[in-house]
This record gives sequence, C-alpha cells and structure tokens, in this order.
Amino acid sequence: MPFFRRYKKEKKNQLSIPKQQNMPSQNLISSEIVENIAEIQDIFSDTPDLVVKNFVIKQINRPATLVYLSGLTDKNAINNDVLKPLLFEVDKENADLEVKVALGQIKETNTWKNIEDAILQGNSVLFIDGRTVAYQFDTQGWPQRGIEDTSIESSLRGAHEGFTETGSSNIALIRRHIPSRELKIKEMTIGERGKIKISIMYLADVANPEVLQELVNRINKLKVDFIINTAALAEYIEDNPYSPFPQLFLTERPDFAASEIFQGRIAVVVDRSPNVLIGPVTFETFFKSMDDYSVRWMAASFLRFMRYFGFFAAIFLPATYIAVISFHFEIIPLKLLLSVGASREKVPFPPFIEAIIMEITLEMLREAGVRLPAKIGQTVGIVGGIVIGQAAVQAGIVSNIMVIVVALTAIASFIIPNYDMGSAIRMLRFPMMIAASLFGFVGLTVGLMTLIAHFVALESLGTPYGSPIAPLRFTDWKDLFIRFPMWSTVKRPESTRAIQRKKANPKLPEGEENW
Amino acid sequence: MVKHNKNQITLMQYIFLIHGVQVGVGLLTLPRELAEIAGTDGWISIIIGYFLSTVAGLLIIQVMKKHPNGTILDLITHYFGKWVGKIAALVFGLYFAFLASIIFIRECLFIQFWILPQTDMFILMLLLSIPTYLIVRNNIKVIARYSQLVFFMTTWMIFFYFSPLKEAHWLHLLPVVKEGWIPIFTAVKVTIFSFIGFEIAFFLYPSLQKKQKASAGFIIANTLTLLILLTITIVIFAFFSPDEITQFKEPTISVLKIVEFKFLERVEIVFLSFYIFVISTTVLPLMYSTVFCLSQLFGAQNHSKFVGWYLLLNLVYIMFITQTFDRNDQLSKLVQPISLFLAYAFPICLLIYVSIHDRIKGRANL
Repeated sequence: MPFFRRYKKEKKNQLSIPKQQNMPSQNLISSEIVENIAEIQDIFSDTPDLVVKNFVIKQINRPATLVYLSGLTDKNAINNDVLKPLLFEVDKENADLEVKVALGQIKETNTWKNIEDAILQGNSVLFIDGRTVAYQFDTQGWPQRGIEDTSIESSLRGAHEGFTETGSSNIALIRRHIPSRELKIKEMTIGERGKIKISIMYLADVANPEVLQELVNRINKLKVDFIINTAALAEYIEDNPYSPFPQLFLTERPDFAASEIFQGRIAVVVDRSPNVLIGPVTFETFFKSMDDYSVRWMAASFLRFMRYFGFFAAIFLPATYIAVISFHFEIIPLKLLLSVGASREKVPFPPFIEAIIMEITLEMLREAGVRLPAKIGQTVGIVGGIVIGQAAVQAGIVSNIMVIVVALTAIASFIIPNYDMGSAIRMLRFPMMIAASLFGFVGLTVGLMTLIAHFVALESLGTPYGSPIAPLRFTDWKDLFIRFPMWSTVKRPESTRAIQRKKANPKLPEGEENW
Repeated sequence: MVKHNKNQITLMQYIFLIHGVQVGVGLLTLPRELAEIAGTDGWISIIIGYFLSTVAGLLIIQVMKKHPNGTILDLITHYFGKWVGKIAALVFGLYFAFLASIIFIRECLFIQFWILPQTDMFILMLLLSIPTYLIVRNNIKVIARYSQLVFFMTTWMIFFYFSPLKEAHWLHLLPVVKEGWIPIFTAVKVTIFSFIGFEIAFFLYPSLQKKQKASAGFIIANTLTLLILLTITIVIFAFFSPDEITQFKEPTISVLKIVEFKFLERVEIVFLSFYIFVISTTVLPLMYSTVFCLSQLFGAQNHSKFVGWYLLLNLVYIMFITQTFDRNDQLSKLVQPISLFLAYAFPICLLIYVSIHDRIKGRANL
C-alpha cells in the first residue's frame, strides 16, 4: 500500500508541475528591461524559434528588445517597418514610437498574459528600457495557401474561389460579397490550449437575435482543449448528435456563405479551417448547389427534381429490390419476373447477401478512390468496374440486375451536392436493406416511417429542420423542388427566422418602354 | 397554462391531425359493414354520420372556448375541482389507451393477414413500435408535423380507386333508399364510429394558434374525412355487386386487386404497405393523448417515459394473448359505447353544465 500511495503522490506531483507552468502570469511587466528579458526566457523556455533581438533605439538612445516567433511573423515587416526606423532614423523633433513604426496596428499592453498571447499569435513585442508598457506590432505572417478553386463543392459557372486556412482572409472573402455596415462580426476564442479564433458573421438587421444568442451560447459553453476544424465545432454544437443527418452546413464557397447570410442565416468562420459553418439550416439546403442560381430556373428545377429522386433512390432502391425479390415477387409482372429469375438463376445467395456484397464492395471502392492520389485512383476504377462488376456476374456471385441496382444507387447517391448529406444517405441504405430483407415492404414502410419520425422532430439551432416540408410552409416552396425565377421570390425563407422577411425587391421592369 | 404556448400548431396541422385520426383501419372494412346493414344505400348513412359528428365536434369546440388556454382536463379541474379532474384524466387516458391499442393491434392483424402471414404478431408490433416511440415521445407540434406530412404523402393513394371505376355498374346504387330508411338509420351506428377520433380536439384546442378558426378547421377536417369515406364506399358499391361485397372481409383492399400497371401487379400489397402510414396518423395522436392524460394524472412534466411503458404493456399483452380479428372486434364493440359517450354525449352535458354554471356565477357576481 505505501508503494501505491507514493506512486499516487508522484503522479499528482507530475501532474501539478506542468499545470503551474501553464498558468499565464497575470503580473505586470517591469521597467527594467533585463528583468523582462529574463521573464520572457522563462515563459518561452525550449522555444528555439523565439527571436529576442536587443538593440538601442537611436532616437531616444535607450536599450530595447524586440521579441517574436520567427515562423509566425512577416520578416519584411519586421525588418523594414520596425527595426529599420528604430535602429537608424533620427528625427529632429521628439517623435514617438507610433510615428516611427510604419505599421497599421500598434497596441500597448503591460500584462505578461497579453504579451504571451500576442507573441504566440505572430505579433512582435517591443520592450523599451524604463517604460512599463510593451508595444505589440501586428507583424503576423505565416506560410499560407493561395485562394484556389473549390474542391468538393465545385461549380460550373459560379465563382471559382474557395476559403483558405486563414480566418481573416475568409472573412474578407465573405465581406467582399456583402459591403454593408449591417454585416456584424462577433469574435470569440475557444479551446483552452488551441485558442481558436471564431468569428460569427451575420446581418444585424436580418438575422434573428434569438438564434444568434443560441449559437453564441453553445459555442461559449465549450470547454475543450482545441477544435481541429469547423466540422469538429459543428459536432460539438449541433442539436442532435445521434442523427445521421448533418444539421449545420459546411461550405467552402464564399459566395454560398454570403448568399446564406443574405437570407438571414449565420456564418461561423473558424480560423485555420477552410470551411465555414452555416446555421440554422434545413434539410433542403443540402440539396441546393450554387449552380442552381447560375443557370436558368427551369434547368435548375429539373436538377432539383433529379436530386430528390436520387435521394429516395439511393436509400430505397436496393431495399426495394430485396423486398420484391425475397417477399413480394408477385407484384412484378410475369415477363419482368422471368428475366429477373433468369439472371438470378446461377446466384446461390439470397438477395440480401448479394446486395450486401455489392454495396460493401462499392463503398470500399469509393473510399479507396477518395484517399488515393489521382493516378492510382484510376486503377481502382478499372479494378472495381471491370474486374469486380463483370467477373462477379460471370462467376455467378451476383446477378446482372443486382449490379445494375447497385450502380444506379451509387450514381443516385453521388448526385447529392453536399458531401455530408451524401454520406448520410449512403449509410442509411444499409438499415433499410436489413429491414427489407426481414419484413419486405412492411420493413421498408417502417424504415421510412422511422426516418420521417426523426426528420419531423429534428431541429437545427432550435429551428425545425424539415421546413418547409414539415412544418409545411407553402410560401417557402418557391425555392424547394422548383426553383422559381429569382424575381418571384421576394421573401426570405421562414426557416431562417429572419426578423426582416422581405428582401429588398428588385422591382420588375415596368413594361412599356422596356421592350 | 404557459406550457402550451411553445407547442402551438397551425390551423392546417390541426385539420390534418383531426382528419388523420378519423381515417384509419375503419376504412378498410367500412363498405362491408355498411353493405351488411343498409345494402348499397350505406353511403347515405355516412352523410348522416358526418352531420352528427360535425355537430358533436362543434359542441366540443364550444365547450373548449369557455376555457381556451387549457385542455379538457384543465377545464374539468377548473369547474369541478382537482379530484374530478384526476378522474377525468384517468377516464380519458384509459379510453384513449384502449382505442389506440385496439387500432394498433388491428393494424398488426391486417399486416399479418395481408402481407406477412408467417410473421409473429409480436415481432410486427415491436417493429411498428420503433417509429411510434420516436414520434410520440415528442410534443404535439412534432406529431402535428408528422400528420401533415403523411397526409400529403398519402393523398395520391385515393387515385388508385378511380381505376376500378372503368368496370363500375352505377345501377348497383339505384334505386336510392330501396329498402326504406330504417336500415340506413341502423347503419348510422357504424358510420358514427368512422368519424370517431375527433374528440382529440379536446386536447388540440389549447395548442391551436388561431382559435377563432377552430370550428372552421374542424368542419374542413370532418368534410375531408367524409369525402374520402364517400369516394371509397361509392366506388366499392359500384364495383362489386351488392351481394358480393359482404363476402370480402376488407373490400377496400380487395377492390384494388384488379388494378394493374405495366410494371406493377398486385397493387394492393404496395397499397396496404403504404396504408400503414395512414393508420399511423390514427394511432399516434391517440397514443399521444393517452400519455398526455397519464402525465397529467401523475403530475409528470415529461410524458416520454410513459410512451415506453405503454408500448411495453402492449407488447406484453400481445405476447401472452393470441390476437384474432374476432377478439379485436369484440374489444372494439366494448369501447364503442364509451366513444359514443365521450365524443357525443359528454360535450353536450358539459356544455349545458358549463353554460348554466357561468350564468349562475355571472348572476351571483351581479
């Protein structure tokens, strides 16, 4: 027992030491520069990328120290705008620091906590001997990717710019679409260690304050070390974690984010993540693509119909096939039944096993294709398509009709423009197949009923997920199955709970001379 | 009374809730039951039943207007005191529980009889309990959304009934009133139960957003039910010969046997599978009313755990007692007088009492 006790004690000690070290010091800085440097060295021990540059400011002839992390700062800015003027320039009049340093943002601070945060975020901090304030310079600059075309939400005619990993530039991309002073940004930092900057963007005169408050509360409640990206944040704050459906929209398109903000929704920009979170969303949002608004409305409506059809086909087609073949073969006409029978003649498995084999194969092929580099990906396609499809039929493992069903299902599931919704659908068809293999059409109906039961009860940030289908709101159907011409939708959808329902209406040309 | 403010339902949802509760398993056998009593004049009984139920429903709404922010249980508590309120909760709870169970079991019987003859009733009920539990544990708003969605999902099914009309003989319906009015009035006692279910208006009224339209909404719901019952009954009367109808247990399904498409035969199996949705809009609101009454009785805030217990009880019941259509019929015969009382007689008595009470109280205040 004593051994255990000692062990425990040791463990406790071990645990407590790093905790103390991590406690940000609330103390103020001292006027002695030597003490300050010692403190900095103490805070950032074992930090080889920390630069502590001691020099003398020529203007006032006092020793000073500039501290920054080399990887997170813009070297040009530091050399040309901070160090050069301070080191070499002497003005006649007694100009202060603000005038000398040619940078936009200079902040004065005096607590060690602020200084620590500033340095870690890529600012540089200047200590001057004899002063009890330190100066923060906005010299952030780190390796970043340029703005590229979007990868999973690609569009034919829409804008070809996608979000990047830098929060501030993502905000800028959205702001470019909404040059309005009503576009407000609420900033908050979450993650005890990660300290991720989160910016909530909304139109103050449109977005519903209750929804906004709900979102802010949920984010504020988070007590986590870090969140690695937007999807993780979505998982923390969504309404029902046990739902297969995504309840918040992740987009990589600034134009989509902006158009949703215009609708009265709220966008959450998470720094270091190339996706923007949009809420509250409804089920139908996941069936829209930005291209719907860049082609003529009839074509867009046609595509919408195809997507909803694809949704049902992807979930129910294999299940229906199983139900018909194993339970209700009497419902298909004789001729069709004969041809199905002929193709199933050689197959030794029940339809469910046959379907599962093919579906699993297909899902694995898909996943293999996603993670592999494009060159190998092609090989996977060939292996999958020719070897597995054709050979499996010839070997009598699966029937031709099953291959057709599975292929149709796959295509139907790929037509869904949103990746999360597509995955949800692909997953949902397995329980449906099981239900159909056990209970036939009754199983299918109960499966659909369970889905609907879940669907009508689900909410996104406290607003009904099924709107405008359940609760039924016919006024919002203008952008549901049929995308009515833009000029005919003058109201924002009710599901956004916008406080200003009416959009600024670009009035129709008044006829007569407008031929 | 604040508790109802958050769970408000729209007028349309209110209409489809009431309509959904009315149309269900009864429709499958209604034409036969009518034909047995009143021959092909049975459709007149439906119309008479419609008027009776409309009057009863309007009376219910008149009663509820006296105490617009509470359910019938709150109203009874208000006028008769706490204990009578508890008794009313018990009576309503038991009534709805029995009604829901009978329909739920009947639903399983139909499925077993028509689609899955080899599957155990217990398994079927277990299967159906999953979505039932998922919906009923929520508040009335979610059930209302469900009923509304299901109504629009299932309305197309009525079009199946136009295709037997190709072979209809309208002469079957003539002459009207061929055997006098007595059989027709006798058959009203069947049709009156086809409209049963509207008594959930007792519980829906406080949740309705636009209460001034409650009566209109009720009439629309009831008329919708009438139209569906009439359409199907008349199609069946015209299709089958008058003597033949009584030989079919569920003529509503049998009539679809002749419907055939190029890609689909035996439509009735698809139809009945989908008809489970229609039946569910009967069962779910009734179950909700059951657990609502129970939670009121025990003063519980949350009714969701009662749903689980209620479904479990049903499962236990079905496990130990073999179910047949006959037993089910007997049970529903037992419940019928209670329905008659609660849906038709009770609102009248209550309205009279409440009016007199208010008048006396008003006078006393003068």
